[in-house]
Amino acid sequence: MRLLLVEDSVPLADEIIAGLNRQGYAVDWLADGRDAIHQGASEPYDLIILDLGLPGVPGLEVLSQWRAARLAIPVLVLTARDSWADRIEGLKAGADDYLTKPFHPEELHLRIQSLLRRARGLANHSTLEAAGLQLDEGRQCVVQGAKEVQLTAAEFRLLRYFMLHPEQILSKSHLAEHLYDGENERDSNVLEVHVNHLRRKLGKAVIETRRGQGYKFGGAVV
Amino acid sequence: MKSIQSRLSVGLFSVLLIVGLIAAQLSLWVFEIGMQRYLEAGLRDESENMLVAISRGSTGLQLDEQRISPAYERPFSGRYFRIDFPGGSWRSRSLWDLELPRPEAAGLHSDVELGPEGQHLLVLRSDYRRLGQSISISIAQDYTPVRASFQRVRTIGLALGLAALCIVLLLQRMTVKRSLRPLERTREQLIQLQQGRRSQLEDQVPLELEPLVLQINHLLAHTEDSLKRSRNALGNLGHALKTPMAVLLSLAASERLRALPEVSQVLREQLDFIQQRLARELNRARLAGDALPGMHFDCDTELPALLSTLEMIPGNHLLIRSETAPGLVLPWDREDMHELLGNLLDNACKWADSEVCLTIVEEAAHYRLSIDDDGPGIPVADRHQVLNRGARLDELTEGHGLGLGIVRDIADSWGAELLLAESPAGGLRVELSLPRRT
Repeated sequence: MRLLLVEDSVPLADEIIAGLNRQGYAVDWLADGRDAIHQGASEPYDLIILDLGLPGVPGLEVLSQWRAARLAIPVLVLTARDSWADRIEGLKAGADDYLTKPFHPEELHLRIQSLLRRARGLANHSTLEAAGLQLDEGRQCVVQGAKEVQLTAAEFRLLRYFMLHPEQILSKSHLAEHLYDGENERDSNVLEVHVNHLRRKLGKAVIETRRGQGYKFGGAVV
Repeated sequence: MKSIQSRLSVGLFSVLLIVGLIAAQLSLWVFEIGMQRYLEAGLRDESENMLVAISRGSTGLQLDEQRISPAYERPFSGRYFRIDFPGGSWRSRSLWDLELPRPEAAGLHSDVELGPEGQHLLVLRSDYRRLGQSISISIAQDYTPVRASFQRVRTIGLALGLAALCIVLLLQRMTVKRSLRPLERTREQLIQLQQGRRSQLEDQVPLELEPLVLQINHLLAHTEDSLKRSRNALGNLGHALKTPMAVLLSLAASERLRALPEVSQVLREQLDFIQQRLARELNRARLAGDALPGMHFDCDTELPALLSTLEMIPGNHLLIRSETAPGLVLPWDREDMHELLGNLLDNACKWADSEVCLTIVEEAAHYRLSIDDDGPGIPVADRHQVLNRGARLDELTEGHGLGLGIVRDIADSWGAELLLAESPAGGLRVELSLPRRT
């Protein structure tokens, strides 16, 4: 999952990025509204966290411009303005969720998690379920049948992305774009290694390789 | 404080009454004196006639009856005399069996009363020397008719004076009302000001009122300005504090403090407390700043937005519905109403099992807002405590506390009443009755 964080406070951005990285999200960070309008619309993010009090262009304006350009990425608004009237304004401008500062980091993680599932049309249970697997995003482990399988951070990221997009053919470059932030090098060989690790832990049939097209998760019944 | 109108009336009434009475009495008195002078002249003529009629006879002095008026012969005719001289005294036949006392000194006397009919007499005693003897002639005239007519004049005058007084008062009342009309207008504007339907007084007022009105307007502008400034300052401070607090909250939850769980716990608690207090105070500042009502709350347009906002909150897989009359507009500030309903509904959502319902009914003197949920509800015994929790800021607790605290602040500022009851849906009903604004 690759997120865009638009937040002008450096210390807060550092904290959020650190927290999100621990949760296995790749995060790009921008501090200026003008950059955000451009980058949000051009890069393939899975979710955007948008602060409303931004230098350059105000957050609500950024949001309106994205929505006017038919950008469908879920946007979580982060703001100090906590009145219900402000909240309604934010949602009217096209926000998918509204979190007021100060917030507990877990709250932010839960909101992101539920927003990502909602965007994929999945029910918001305590675990993410797909193809007979149950992924516990808090503990970063997966339950298969009665067996609990521990995952490394990289495996967790990859599996989560697969489970949020079951039965879809995902190319290596698509996966790389959505799993790594803009600064990390995207090496498709690394992806292959992680896919193999997942197969070893969860069974070969979990991820199917479509030659020349990419991977497909949950296509066959496990 | 008595009104200027009644003060003026009382003042004018007493001044007119006192001056009128004194003037009437004085003029009557002057007139009576003049009257008596005139009558005195007649009496003096009479007494001189009498003197001439006295002549020396064979047995001493004698009075020539032919030369005196026949009025002195008829009993109680109203004209009397007595003549005293060293050898005796004569009196007129008209006195009949009564005695006309001889005045002690010469001159006019008006205090003599005579006989069974109580005739008031005006008596003139004149002393002469004639035919070698000192003769004192007292001539009396019945003064009663004059007195009576004076009395009549006085009564009529009093009646006329009172009527005039009434007319003057009436006219004065009208004049005062007319000239106080700008004051009355200003008074009405001040009432409107108090009700928040006006922010300034009209400055088209008479010269006398102008300094007052200008000063009030100046003070109003100044108050509003400084209120706005301090509200903005508070708001800015509050909002500016929130980002660093978010950093601290994140820090408290971070890996770095995992080894010190008690430190992180204290940090979280204190930050939560600051946050709640901040939210409450910001709300209060916002309420205090709204001297003038902003846009009103139009249920048809605002409620769907509010309900869909609530539905978007994660974990709210509830049915949230509202029952209002179409076209209902609540005459309160839109933002405050959002805050009130948002908090109440949010609270209800936290406790409801499947459904939350907002009902707004317009009644004669109130708007009745009810929020029902089908959750566990609150036992009757605890309701009072729940309502009062958060009344003091240091008693704030999670959940019910803060939201209801903000709601109560808003309700208080509107003079509304907040009640907890059992909902027909099984859970809690929060009922607010908002007194209609005039």
